[in-house]
Amino acid sequence: MEAYIFALIPLMPAFAFLLSLFLGNKSPLKGAEYPIIAIFISFVLSVIAFTQIYPGEEVIHYSVHWFGALNLGILIDPLAAVMLVMVTFVSLLIHIYAVGYMSHDTGKARYFAETALFTAAMLAVILSDNILQFFIAWELVGLCSYLLIGFWFRKPSAAAASKKAFLTTRVGDVMFLAGIIILFAEMTKLGLSDGTYLLQFKTMFAHIPDIPSGKLTIITLLFFGGAVGKSGQFPLHVWLPDAMEGPTTVSALIHAATMVTAGVYLVARTFPMFIAAPNSLLIVALVGGFTAFFASTMGLVMNDLKRVLAFSTISQLGYMMLAVGTLGMVLANEAVGVSLFHLINHAFFKALLFLCAGSVIHATHLSDMRQMGGLFSKMKITGTTMFIAAIALAGIPFTSGFYSKDAIIEGAYEYAVHASHTTGFIAYIPYIFGITAAFMTSIYIFRLWFMTFTGTPRTDYHAHESPASMTIPLSILAILALVFGGLTKVNFGHFLEKTFENSYIHVDLHELAALGGHTLAEGATHPPAIIFYLPIIVGVGGFIIAALIYWKKLVDLTSLTKNPLYTLLMNRYYQYQIFTETIALRLTYPMALLTDISDRHLINGVIDFISDAFIDIGEIIRKVQTGMVQNYATLFILGTAILVIFMQIRGMM
Amino acid sequence: MFITLMILLPFIGAVIGILSKRGSIARVVALATSAIPLFISLAMYAMFDKAAGMQFTENMSWIDSLGIKYMTGIDGIGLPLVILANIVVPLTIIFAWNEKKDAHIFFALISVLHAGVLGVFTSLDFFMFYIYWEVTLIPMYFLISIWGGPKKDYAAIKFFIYTHVASLVMLLAIFGLYFAGWIKTGTPSFDIMYLIKEVYPGLSPIMRDGIFLGLLFGFIVKMPSVPFHTWLPDAHVEAPTAGSVLLAAVLLKMGGYGLFRVMLPLLENVGSYKLMIYIMAVLGIVSILYGTLAALVQKDLKKMVAYSSISHMGFVMLGAAALIPMSVAGAMFQQFSHGLITCVLFMSCGVIQHNTGTRIIHELGGLATKMPKLAFLMLASFMASLGLPAMSGFIAEFLVLTYAYQALPIFVLLALLGIVPTAGYHLWAMQRAMFGEFNENVKDPHGGPLKDLAINETIAMATIILLVIYFGMNPGPILGMMEISATNLVAGMGGMI
Repeated sequence: MEAYIFALIPLMPAFAFLLSLFLGNKSPLKGAEYPIIAIFISFVLSVIAFTQIYPGEEVIHYSVHWFGALNLGILIDPLAAVMLVMVTFVSLLIHIYAVGYMSHDTGKARYFAETALFTAAMLAVILSDNILQFFIAWELVGLCSYLLIGFWFRKPSAAAASKKAFLTTRVGDVMFLAGIIILFAEMTKLGLSDGTYLLQFKTMFAHIPDIPSGKLTIITLLFFGGAVGKSGQFPLHVWLPDAMEGPTTVSALIHAATMVTAGVYLVARTFPMFIAAPNSLLIVALVGGFTAFFASTMGLVMNDLKRVLAFSTISQLGYMMLAVGTLGMVLANEAVGVSLFHLINHAFFKALLFLCAGSVIHATHLSDMRQMGGLFSKMKITGTTMFIAAIALAGIPFTSGFYSKDAIIEGAYEYAVHASHTTGFIAYIPYIFGITAAFMTSIYIFRLWFMTFTGTPRTDYHAHESPASMTIPLSILAILALVFGGLTKVNFGHFLEKTFENSYIHVDLHELAALGGHTLAEGATHPPAIIFYLPIIVGVGGFIIAALIYWKKLVDLTSLTKNPLYTLLMNRYYQYQIFTETIALRLTYPMALLTDISDRHLINGVIDFISDAFIDIGEIIRKVQTGMVQNYATLFILGTAILVIFMQIRGMM
Repeated sequence: MFITLMILLPFIGAVIGILSKRGSIARVVALATSAIPLFISLAMYAMFDKAAGMQFTENMSWIDSLGIKYMTGIDGIGLPLVILANIVVPLTIIFAWNEKKDAHIFFALISVLHAGVLGVFTSLDFFMFYIYWEVTLIPMYFLISIWGGPKKDYAAIKFFIYTHVASLVMLLAIFGLYFAGWIKTGTPSFDIMYLIKEVYPGLSPIMRDGIFLGLLFGFIVKMPSVPFHTWLPDAHVEAPTAGSVLLAAVLLKMGGYGLFRVMLPLLENVGSYKLMIYIMAVLGIVSILYGTLAALVQKDLKKMVAYSSISHMGFVMLGAAALIPMSVAGAMFQQFSHGLITCVLFMSCGVIQHNTGTRIIHELGGLATKMPKLAFLMLASFMASLGLPAMSGFIAEFLVLTYAYQALPIFVLLALLGIVPTAGYHLWAMQRAMFGEFNENVKDPHGGPLKDLAINETIAMATIILLVIYFGMNPGPILGMMEISATNLVAGMGGMI
């Protein structure tokens, strides 16, 4: 197929957006049919693109001139291909599921229009062959998240949450933009020939050695700042738990297929720049590791079904960052592969978790787990599929999550061993974060499952299994969450390695690493057996602990709720107080008030003072205006005389 | 002939409108005589040669003894703004279609204003330029003082005197150049390019700086730049919607136009080169940040939009000061883009005022429930205003920031600080006025249920939003013209690099 045809991948859902928006209310499925058909076509095209480029030697690339030194283009390389297939597939399932889930909502046309645009924007992010187009699509993703989180805009909390999401991610976006601006200035200095597209990934990567390393570190850190915002990394993760104000299907889209993975994708996409800036990689690893740990602690105590899952997403995204950061510093080639492997696996089981949660909420009209319990007997499919998602998330052996999380934790260990010679104990920090987070992940997710599905109902409700349009997507995702990792674990990495080594982009990652001044490991070391078994032990251990406490009720933890640590976690480390109250209300708002006061009284005061002064002078001058014609005539003649004299002088010159 | 015809038509329309004494006739005439210039300017665009300089020139002697000529022409600096004015004015007339109070005068004044700004954007003779410049003041003064809000007299007088004083300072500088040229060569001339290129370089450094600052003052008050902006919020708050739209979308652009037509060509030979660049850059960055902060705390939606205008016009100044071809082109594009976006912003404020009787943000709430069309278009304009990509504002601000960084890095990094608060005040206003539960205290002052957009309002606002999106995705048609003009403008100037 011609390369430009693949531009339809994002354009189809974009077109569906218009159809649903303007024709949705009049169509039989209230606007759902357009995105479903469009995304299905996008999915088919993505699969075709995937098979065309597999095993990754060739890529699909198409570019047109936009304006100035900028172009618009699509690039489908291994990295983009796996993302495309995953996003279109998961998005398709979520759209089908939403037909049932949103069946009672009056704003269906608007809902489907916005989710279609959301998908389109995310696909455009993935397909970009240059960083500016990437940024543009990235911002549109932000817009759609704003619209969808605030979908029920009549609810004040939804309106507030959507604003919070947009503004928080925009902090990251500004950093990303600053990175692009600085990069552009550096590229301009190189004096490349006219007609070179300075912000195309290919051009950027080819000129990494020409950019001073200090600048490269700044640029990559700013890019990472953007990723921190979008991918909910500490400290810009605060928007994500509130993003559940939208419909649950939106949460599933945001958390699994679109939006949050964009940040990880950005780091993966610009990985050659990161590998040449090892300080940035270290920060990626530390921030990612800390986020994985930090978010899982909060996941332990939350009582809202979706909120636990939100913290879980933050934590898992931290793992993906951790993978890029640590593996980038030891094995280079594998970093993007491992990170993306977890990203894809996570997309399946996290979409599944959210859709199961949606199924539960749809059935019970509750989202607080303290009010649930004993649902398994009434919702067997939902319960089973959610259990599968839980074991995948917890990394229980032979599920998808097991393979990818294991690879990440092992990678962090390899980094620790490799770098401990130079950096000492600090090299172990990412690993410790990773392994403790894995333990807590297992506890919180089984806590969630046991609290929801076992025991006896804690409040009165009538639950029923959801319709087939909802349970079929659940079953498909459950199968993938179980087997996808095992089936692809060998080929996935090899395929992804071709991202930076193909007919279009060829970057020698080892050379770039050397340029950045860090040495890679010669090959995989063989960690002791305990390192291999530890993730399994903590995964199963978490299950047992959760079962003892929340299923068998052998341990009573109610006394712990008085613990200050519990209060700290429940209050989410007082982030609201720090961000909203301190930065927004105590810093920016008073500054703005001061500006306003000075505007009205100081600057405008001066103006009013001047005008008053003139009025006073006017009062005096009025006395000159005697109203007598003789006086005016005198002044008139005087003026004329001055003019004549001027002319005369000019004549003499 | 194109240009003269284009300027003459709205004047004729105004005369017919006033003579007709009937609003229903005047509005049709005004629409026709403002729409035909649009087609004329599009025809000029079709025939426009990007590579050539001044085109469609007309040059006739007028008052020989004083060197005043009738000189018009258009280039990549003027044509985009002419097109902008020709888009905005007809749509404003459509938006204000149902104006009842002295409608024939109302529409005639809009037509006069239209003719005036077209004159400013096409005059090549300083005398004519100045006359047109002043002509625009009069209709705006009356629009505010007759159709304005409760404090209309204060606002109208303030607007008139403030900008008029600035014009006088500008006039002094023009006379300085004019007489210097007359003394030097013995023949008087008001030819803008001649005065800038031939006369100005021969002056003493002090004179050059003085004339530069005098002209700059005239333009930055119009733009306006902080700290010479205080007339603007008052004028906007009191002006009728159509007046606000024209003020922000077209009149302010005259200030920016002056920067490109007059200030940048002068800059090459100014006495204190770096100082002047810094003055401009500081004016730009202060306007950006100050406008943003002030907008954050405004209680009146329209006043908030007025401060956002100040902030956005700061980008024009910053881009111009950087003297990089593409940053200057970006600044020009910002003028064009802001001209479009701000229309919908002020129209939204106007509809809210008209349909609910208030614009105070905390007195509103949940309007989206009752006014979905307004909510949709208003949100689109807010997104455009906060610089969302795929809309024209992003292209402009991206170009300014990216290219200006190469010359004025610190200033650009400071400007970036304004991005999040800018998004903040837009979304915060949206949240409080439009989202959340519907505030039952909000009622239509004319009685009956709360009305959404009328059809003429929808047409005007939706058309502009479509244009904003179009130029955000395909800026080439307009930007291409600007690029070449900007390159020629800064050729030979080193800027700060």
